[in-house]
Amino acid sequence: MHHLKIPARLAALALLALSALAGAARGAELRVVATTPELAWFAEELGGDHVDVESLTRGKENMHAFGVKPRTIVSIAKADLLLENGLSLEAVWLPDLLLAARNKELTYDTGRRVNCSTGIEPLNVPTDLSRKEGDVHPMGNPHMALSPLAGPVIAGNVHAALVRLDPERKADYDKAHAALVERLAEAEQRWQKYVPLFEGLGVVVYHQEFDYLVDYLGMQQRISIEPKPGIPPTPSHLAKVIAVVREHEVPAILVAPWANNRQAKSIAQKTDAALLELPAMVGGAKYATGYIAWIDGMLEELRVAYGLPEPDFDEDEGGEG
Amino acid sequence: MHFSNLSRPALVPPLLSTAAVLGSFAVPSFGQVSTMQTPGMPVPTAGQTTRFENDFNPAIGLVFDFFASYTDAEDDDFDGFDIDLRSAELTGAAWVDPTAWAYSAIVFAGDEVELEEAAVLYTGFDGNETLRVGRFFVDFGKQMQAHEHALRTPDRPAVLAELLGEELGGDGVQFDHWFTAGDDTIVRYSVGAFASLIAHEHGEEEGEEGPEAESLERPDADELAFTARLTGFTSLTDQQTLQLGASWRGIPEFEFHDEENDAEAEGLSNHVYGVDLTWAWTDPTETETWTFGGEYLISDGDLSAETIEPVPGTFELDVLNDEAHGFYVFGDYAWDSANSAGLQFSTVEVAEAGLEDMDQIDLYYTRNVSEFQRLRFAITQTEMAGDEDLRFGVQYTAFLGPHAHGVNF
Repeated sequence: MHHLKIPARLAALALLALSALAGAARGAELRVVATTPELAWFAEELGGDHVDVESLTRGKENMHAFGVKPRTIVSIAKADLLLENGLSLEAVWLPDLLLAARNKELTYDTGRRVNCSTGIEPLNVPTDLSRKEGDVHPMGNPHMALSPLAGPVIAGNVHAALVRLDPERKADYDKAHAALVERLAEAEQRWQKYVPLFEGLGVVVYHQEFDYLVDYLGMQQRISIEPKPGIPPTPSHLAKVIAVVREHEVPAILVAPWANNRQAKSIAQKTDAALLELPAMVGGAKYATGYIAWIDGMLEELRVAYGLPEPDFDEDEGGEG
Repeated sequence: MHFSNLSRPALVPPLLSTAAVLGSFAVPSFGQVSTMQTPGMPVPTAGQTTRFENDFNPAIGLVFDFFASYTDAEDDDFDGFDIDLRSAELTGAAWVDPTAWAYSAIVFAGDEVELEEAAVLYTGFDGNETLRVGRFFVDFGKQMQAHEHALRTPDRPAVLAELLGEELGGDGVQFDHWFTAGDDTIVRYSVGAFASLIAHEHGEEEGEEGPEAESLERPDADELAFTARLTGFTSLTDQQTLQLGASWRGIPEFEFHDEENDAEAEGLSNHVYGVDLTWAWTDPTETETWTFGGEYLISDGDLSAETIEPVPGTFELDVLNDEAHGFYVFGDYAWDSANSAGLQFSTVEVAEAGLEDMDQIDLYYTRNVSEFQRLRFAITQTEMAGDEDLRFGVQYTAFLGPHAHGVNF
């Protein structure tokens, strides 16, 4: 029996060596951490097998109330690349998280921290940086990913970061980027056909996260249930919202999963407006499996809620599953 | 005495010549660079965040903490209404070097103005280590790093106030290191050495009657006060976290002095050991949160002193050397980011009262009107030796400018 142990040990050593090699191969992957699921989706689409991607948040989370978890700090500590939404969406928690995680490489200077809203023209840029205007974001509305026009910009930022950090695989990233840009362009053509349907229609939101989508569709945002960003409504403001919804016969109220939907539901019941909970991030609804499917799904949910006819798609066009 | 007059005053026997070491170790306030907060810790980030950068200027902030209360107590001194600006805290913080962050906290309380914290954190090591030098709050359990106005309840739990002090800090140095254990767990430890860790509370007047604890003028290395903490924080699931911790505060050498009667007791020591556990659950939207937790503490050694007069005209200190135990547990429910309510129970053996049990129950509702102001309603029942105090309190706290109460987890 004793002589059998030597081959067994050799085999074990070989296995260990193979594991180490496999580990080294895995180690060659870029560990990408994204603050939102949609940014993680772009990294996966562009990086493919070369990246190991994790989103710090889940699809239904309130980004404004994000709570740091042990897993979060471990992820940041080990990350090669951090993708953030920017426009101060993560300003309340990301700087402190970066300090705590002590990953000194994740800086703008090293190119390992990337602001994915670079190139986006923000909406709602405040002229008064004061708390009396509510929870203002000084650089403008940060929910830029909800714009159907944001995809190519985000893709460009993520692609540039991957190429910068992993130039040896530039050809792969370029190829993936070109394919994704093409898919986004096709999708945007499809989304454009919703615009005439919604143009000029009224809408009410709870918070300002859907402003980019509403703006893209040319809808009229009559009022927000929050009197100012981040400020819960008072009874008198709720009464004002009800009056506005009735006066303009607003067909629907848009809310995120984390909004105070009890108040929104009460308004909907009193006004016969439809209450539509839309996913504010990828993963916030079953259909929102990726960026394109997310926008596709939201537009369809909106269309159905407003009782509008289907856009005139060509036969060979359709959404992504 | 070293107990908050908001928490249990009428129940502590007015022993003129007695003082508790246990409640007398403390000083400073707060403001930390690492705001890695965990469930059950006091208050989320409040005040201005880095949304508005102060890259080359100290971030200056001010906190007002008002408390209005009605207390139903048997002692007339504590019965009735009270409205009080408990404290106003002025903070300043800035990076003074790419690897060093400095901060200070000056607190106005009663007629007292005190520099409660002034420290520099050096972060330039290769790993996840931090060296803190200066005056700062100790790293003990889940609450002692925080200033009183930042707590989940109006006052510090009775067991912490009694065995460690309302606020506990000192001049010293602390080394801090954290590391990962797998993908879901982080572990942190710290060790600190201080010239003194004798506690006091806001508004406490100098020269109170009775024996007072004092540290040595120039202690040797083995006579310094020490702290240590080890804690692990893990993600059980996407929605659940668990934190376990163990802490120690040791004072190997201190003295009791009764200045009025010219009596003293030397060569005394006291050690406090604590364990803590906190479990939290959040819903998928990060809006609704349940948090349960608690800490158990043992204080061992010289606990308190009483002035006696064995021979007329000759005074001596009778020191109580024993163990005192206590704990607090709490459950807290936040149904959205602005509203939360909770229940906390704390019990502790009070050295001043011959290790009599004191029980305290807090029922509280907190409304975070915004990150700049907070309103809290709390009912506190305190019971000791069959006597009960019942206090109805309203706490209003306003944050002007930046004031992140990030403490190490």
